[in-house]
Amino acid sequence: MDEASAPDAPLLSLRGLEKSFPGVRALRAVDFEVRAGEIMALVGENGAGKSTLMKILNGVDRPDAGSLRWRGREGFPASPAEAQAAGISMIHQELALVPDLDVGRNLFLGREPRWGPGLVDRRRLYREAQEELDQLGLAVDARATVRDYPLAQQQMIEVAKALSLRARLLVMDEPTSSLTGREVEVLFERMRSLRSRGIALVFISHRMEEIFAIADRITIMRDGAVVSVDPAANLDADEVIRRMVGREVGDPGEGGGWPAVAADAEPLLEVEGLGRGRAFRDISFRLQPGEILGVSGLVGAGRTELAEALFGVRPAEVGRLRVQGREQRIRHPGDALRAGIALVPEDRKGQGLFLGMSVGANTVMAVLSRFLAAGLFLRHGRLRRVAEQFVERLRVRTPSVRQEVRNLSGGNQQKVVIAKWLALEPKVLILDEPTRGIDVGAKAEIYRLMRSLAAEGMGILMISSELPEILGVSTRILVLHEGRLAGSFLPAETDSDELMRAATGTRAVAAGEGAAG
Amino acid sequence: MKTRIRTLSLLLGSLGLASAPALAQEEPTLGLSVSTLNNPFFVTLVEGATIAANEGGAELLVLDAQDNPSTEAANLEDLIAQGVDAILINPTDADAVVPSVLAANDAGIPVFTVDRSSAAGAVVAHVASDNVAGGRLAGEFLCEQLGGTGEVVELEGIAGTSAARDRGAGFNAYLAEECPGVEVVARQPANFNRAEGLTVFENILTSTGPVDGVFAHNDEMVLGAIEATRAASDVSVEDIVFVGFDAVDDARAAVAEGSLAATVAQQPALIGALGVEAALAYLEGESVRESVPVDLQLVTE
Amino acid sequence: MNASAHTAPRETRGRLLERFGLLLCLLLLVLVLSLVTDRFLTVDNLTNVVRQSSINAIIAVGVMLVILTRGIDLSVGSVLAFSSVFGTTWLTQGGVPVPVAILLSVGAGVVLGLTSGALVAYLRIPPFIATLGMMTFARGAALAYTQGQPVSGLAGGYRWAGAGELLGVPVPIVLLALVYLLGYLLLEHTGPGRSIRAIGDNPEAARWSGLPVRRVQLLVYGISGGLAALAGVILAGRLNSAQPTAGVFYELDAIAAVVVGGTSFAGGKGSLSGTLIGALLIASINNGMNLLNFPADLQAIAKGAVIILALLLYRQLRRTRPGRAVRAPTPNENPEPHPS
Repeated sequence: MDEASAPDAPLLSLRGLEKSFPGVRALRAVDFEVRAGEIMALVGENGAGKSTLMKILNGVDRPDAGSLRWRGREGFPASPAEAQAAGISMIHQELALVPDLDVGRNLFLGREPRWGPGLVDRRRLYREAQEELDQLGLAVDARATVRDYPLAQQQMIEVAKALSLRARLLVMDEPTSSLTGREVEVLFERMRSLRSRGIALVFISHRMEEIFAIADRITIMRDGAVVSVDPAANLDADEVIRRMVGREVGDPGEGGGWPAVAADAEPLLEVEGLGRGRAFRDISFRLQPGEILGVSGLVGAGRTELAEALFGVRPAEVGRLRVQGREQRIRHPGDALRAGIALVPEDRKGQGLFLGMSVGANTVMAVLSRFLAAGLFLRHGRLRRVAEQFVERLRVRTPSVRQEVRNLSGGNQQKVVIAKWLALEPKVLILDEPTRGIDVGAKAEIYRLMRSLAAEGMGILMISSELPEILGVSTRILVLHEGRLAGSFLPAETDSDELMRAATGTRAVAAGEGAAG
Repeated sequence: MKTRIRTLSLLLGSLGLASAPALAQEEPTLGLSVSTLNNPFFVTLVEGATIAANEGGAELLVLDAQDNPSTEAANLEDLIAQGVDAILINPTDADAVVPSVLAANDAGIPVFTVDRSSAAGAVVAHVASDNVAGGRLAGEFLCEQLGGTGEVVELEGIAGTSAARDRGAGFNAYLAEECPGVEVVARQPANFNRAEGLTVFENILTSTGPVDGVFAHNDEMVLGAIEATRAASDVSVEDIVFVGFDAVDDARAAVAEGSLAATVAQQPALIGALGVEAALAYLEGESVRESVPVDLQLVTE
Repeated sequence: MNASAHTAPRETRGRLLERFGLLLCLLLLVLVLSLVTDRFLTVDNLTNVVRQSSINAIIAVGVMLVILTRGIDLSVGSVLAFSSVFGTTWLTQGGVPVPVAILLSVGAGVVLGLTSGALVAYLRIPPFIATLGMMTFARGAALAYTQGQPVSGLAGGYRWAGAGELLGVPVPIVLLALVYLLGYLLLEHTGPGRSIRAIGDNPEAARWSGLPVRRVQLLVYGISGGLAALAGVILAGRLNSAQPTAGVFYELDAIAAVVVGGTSFAGGKGSLSGTLIGALLIASINNGMNLLNFPADLQAIAKGAVIILALLLYRQLRRTRPGRAVRAPTPNENPEPHPS
């Protein structure tokens, strides 16, 4: 280490970071520091601000305010290259190696040692690469192809690459997400040895047991702010989760009053052992008329993938599905629509709306075939009445059904997408992040609508990343963790801590049906 | 197989082992790059060339440029690489073909142009109809039919092509010099195309009213003009003297039927044949004229 | 992102100006031509202009439907050539009656169009490539089928389709009107028509909405082929001859009419009236230059300049309108951040 500072002084210190995106305050007054020879865990819910913070550190984003002090010098890196040159390296979830090149080439990609203009000094390249690998104690041959090593080794090759860049700080963003238990152990061992060499590590993870196994200190973020920084020894998993979630769980449901669920009614939807590749597996649940089944879980837990399988966009590979007792095979959206399943997609503009077409045309798009004379001609009058009916019922704020959807606000656009599916009179309505990017007023209207639809006997499956929404709107909650069902809860009998524990895999809850199923 | 024999004979020749007569018996290979085979005129030209090549005991490789200068360049590259004995080019464009001609010059392969010429490069001989003379022929015929006075329309070919330029020049020169009583009241391009000949003449008829004669730079355009006249209410085909150029089959039929008064016949088969004959004569060591004009005929019945 | 709902009345006014603006361009051209030559604004000449535009205008309807689905059809000129020599050969050599020959011709066009459509919809070949292939294939087929020679001497009934009159109106104009009427019905009053626009507006959302995306793609290419063939029937009738070399570059004229007519390559947006005006604009330019006895070398320059000027003027008219929501980049695009 070249800086002449006290051993305990932070290697990296960020002060008072502020960052806003349109409509979102991503970081507020964030302080963050890492010392040399320390493993700092950074935890928080999706959207807490971790990624923004790391992007600033890595030179991808610039903050609106704040300061960065790195090895005694002030200033933010202007680009990832600058950050790298200064000794800050990132290792992302997705590896940045070229799988078909050999290890040595990967380590020195773009900065190969040369012995003349344009001539790569291959001997020096492999010798130096091998030295880096050996230093890490890796049984990796610099001349072997990257693809031939298992993922954990590849992850370590990336670490070796970062170290060959003279990295003093390594940020590892969910490095264990694709590793097996044994591989995680190996990785941790290497991380500890790096720590002992005075290198600072930032470890981002959702897995509590891993955090407590490796971290020296834990920085907890919530809603763009740092909640606490404590030695790991002073915390436990429950406390971390409590701080991540916060106590102020607002109730979007205007207080209680869930629609009554007829427990003995025939289920609208029965799913058994549904699975597709690594995305999700062994998913079983039932949806009764009048239920709003909330589906919670972290990003990547397989929630959207499950919804897409139910709707046939990307069909499930295994498992059975019954709608009102009748077995259905759903291979594309048409099958789902015929079976009475509709999906309001997460990507409203990409998959839900025809921005250049009118509100009316959008509303009736999925039911066009029901309003054709002689199987060909549009019954304009009836189509307009249907559109107007739904516009009124959903309180879409538009001067007329002729207005282009492009000109509506996000909340009203979302209502149009929902209207499009309601016009089909589905039995099961799946909503994927139904209130994302929508203002508070429109949110409340959408919650009201979901309740009234459920009260009319529809079955609703709501995927949401917002725990208050899940807790406030659902009549029952399923939690997915890494593609599997991690638990089933009743909102009255659970809280966000418990849901978060299930979502992070901290406490294994017997998968399967809960009380209401 | 053929290549191997030629290589062998070249080898023997270079060793001085083969006798001259043996080499002379080797059938020469000629390359012919034709601008397009979409046009019956060039199809006939190629047929004439093929027959002449067969008679002269030569092999003829025909490559179609599809009216595309870059296809043409690639085709000529191929011919040069194959080492043909002489190249006949019917260029898509006089300027675009120059680099290819120069390449052939570098490779020492003699070049002959047929029907259309090259703007530069060493060309042994250019074999073509005398389009200027053809235009004069048409002017003379029209003047005669109209008795020396009248209003006529000229339908032009694609601007910038030598055929359009020369035919128009000969036609107008004749009228200016020999027949001042015949006036060209409209001169419009219809791009050698029948459909355009139709619409352009429709428009001209509404603008100029009835005219006495029409000369078109090719038959396609004049056939279109005849259809326009047929469809028009206030003029009839019999009242207008139509003269075309090229004597394609449809035009000959129209002449026979009486709607077309005459068409100037190029003789594409003869052009092709004379081109091949010039090339073979040159390879035999005979002297060849730099410009080989091919006669035109007036077809009137 | 919100509150823009209130621009609606202005939006409608903008729409009117948009359609009206294009018509304005045409009227301006008509005005200029009428001023410089007294031959232009006559019944006979205007009949000529409409009749001459009919071939391009009919082809353009098919091309427009394809462009509305975010596709392109480059094969129309070649399909026209093949279908017309195919039908007329059956007429002259096969001895089939005129109506059968015409049906064979249009049928051939439909089959070629459906083939392009199948390549696009089912084999996922980009429309540009699929129809470029079809363009070359159909041209080659036309030349091979006729050995490069035109098919001439058509029976009177066939010529009627191009040169005849129905109740005093030239048949090509009657067919033109019919095609636009049917096109209007299709686009504005049928399920498939609505699907065409929806697919062009957002193909992904169309799939998610359960629309028969592939069948609709097949349909538009089939229609495009059929209309190109119909235009071929008119052309052969007018020329009293079907030519394997006919229709070269017709795809470009058709695309020009469609685009000048306000249809967006981004799909979804476009009106038939715009396309018709676009085709009339192009035909008027050609007609005017003939009337004015424009020299050959200046004609191409003038034509190109007028088309570009029309487009510029048209765009200027739309830009000056208040709402400006149609083709501008989505004003309410919300850069949704993902802060974690």
